Amino acid sequence: MTDSRDTTETNDGMDPRFENLAGYVLGALENDDERDFVEALIESDSEAHAEFTELAEAADLLAVAVPPVAPPVRLKSAIMDQIAREAAPMPIRSTVEVAPTPSSTPFWAAIIRSGFASSAVAAVLVIVVAGVLGYQNNQLGNEVDSLRAELNAESAVVANIQNELMATVSESETKVASMKTEMETMETEVGVTTEMVVHQEEMVSKLAIENAALQQAMAEQRWLNYVAMREEYQVTSWLASTQQTTSGSVIDASGLIAVRYVGNEAVFQAHGLAQPQPDFAYTLWLLGNGAPQPVASFEVSEIGSATVAFLLPAPFQFYSSVAVTQERVDRVGDDPTGITFLSADTN
Amino acid sequence: MDEVYRLNYQGLEDLELLAKIGDQDRDALSTLYDRYGRRVFALAVRILNDPVGSEEVTQDVFMSVWRRGATYTTKKGKFTTWLFSIAHNRTIDELRKRRRDRSRLNDNIEDHYDLKSGDISPADAAVAQSEYAKIRAAMEGLPEEQKNVVELSYFKGLTQTEIAEKTGQPLGTVKTRMRLALKKLRKALSAEMGAQV
Repeated sequence: MTDSRDTTETNDGMDPRFENLAGYVLGALENDDERDFVEALIESDSEAHAEFTELAEAADLLAVAVPPVAPPVRLKSAIMDQIAREAAPMPIRSTVEVAPTPSSTPFWAAIIRSGFASSAVAAVLVIVVAGVLGYQNNQLGNEVDSLRAELNAESAVVANIQNELMATVSESETKVASMKTEMETMETEVGVTTEMVVHQEEMVSKLAIENAALQQAMAEQRWLNYVAMREEYQVTSWLASTQQTTSGSVIDASGLIAVRYVGNEAVFQAHGLAQPQPDFAYTLWLLGNGAPQPVASFEVSEIGSATVAFLLPAPFQFYSSVAVTQERVDRVGDDPTGITFLSADTN
Repeated sequence: MDEVYRLNYQGLEDLELLAKIGDQDRDALSTLYDRYGRRVFALAVRILNDPVGSEEVTQDVFMSVWRRGATYTTKKGKFTTWLFSIAHNRTIDELRKRRRDRSRLNDNIEDHYDLKSGDISPADAAVAQSEYAKIRAAMEGLPEEQKNVVELSYFKGLTQTEIAEKTGQPLGTVKTRMRLALKKLRKALSAEMGAQV
């Protein structure tokens, strides 16, 4: 009783190329192509040859395991007869002139019996027979050489096919590697593009905020005009920017001064001013009526706006111009010394 | 004189006889036939179950040895490996051909031969029986599945794919079982029988 559970029935350690060797020695392959492939492998690979030898010797044992059976005697006779027929020399015409004999005796026997057989004739006969045997040997040798040549040619074809397959596999692997690299490059480019898009979106958002601030400022300006009229103020000056950006365009900043019809109260309102430098503040000057007069010092909001109420030292029409400069906080003197950001004539 | 000549040939090794066959020596083939004819014939009978067909196969095998003996090299394995390989392949070809055309019916082997005795000498029969018993024991020691794939392939002539279909096993499993069976068989017998078959 055998245990049918064979725990060693796994394919561990077997070279996949050798998977058909056992089938080959057991005669269980499907077709000539598989057999040719295995034979070429055995011929060209020493490991495969060693594995084949081991398995084939085991297959021998299967043949030996069959109890011997005596074949009929006639079988050996049949084989030996067939060999004799195949080994029979081809008829070759002798070059020695021999007198024809009426009997069916072979010509060489007739020569010997005729009494004319000389040593020379015997020598020629030996040469002819030797020639026939040599011819047969040559023929067999040629057949063997032909078979070997065919085998070599088939082995070469198989080797070529193997080489072509390996080349194809190698080419495919190279292509896959190249595609992987391209995909990685594309992923990197997509990443960069995504960053750019995000940056542009941030810029658009920032511009939208600034645009909203500007629109608000304009609305406030209109509102201030309205308020000025409602509150009995009159806008007396529109101040424009005098500064330029690094690209040469005028900075988009503006301002106005509204003066009350009665009394000396006035209001200054500005938009688009940048935050002053550290330790500096904007100063509003009234000019053209004697010494310049700083009437207000102010800061700006986050969006660059400022609204300042101040008292006119003299009627507004006495002044020829107004200006906004940046002055040091601790050094506001009698004359403007800092950079002028807004200015306007009062006329 | 002829008897002395024959006795001298019987002392020659297989490869020496094969070399003489390459020189078209018929006595060499005759000696090889005496040495292995019974086994080749028995293998054919075992597979074909047809003594008449087995005679044809055996004749073809020894004609192949006669014609192709010069092409044999030790690269093809031992001489017996080569010979039994030719015998097995020829027999399996015949079996498959018969399966295809179904034109010939197997005869009852017992109608023609006494397989137990025949012309085998008692001494040869004893030796053969001893070898046979050892190998059969080794075969019986194989797991059932491995024994089955060997039986179906070597003696029934089924291909790997046919065995897989018949047994419902994956093709890879069939291949592995074949390989393991042969290896175990060889291992089991190598100690007892040495390298000689």
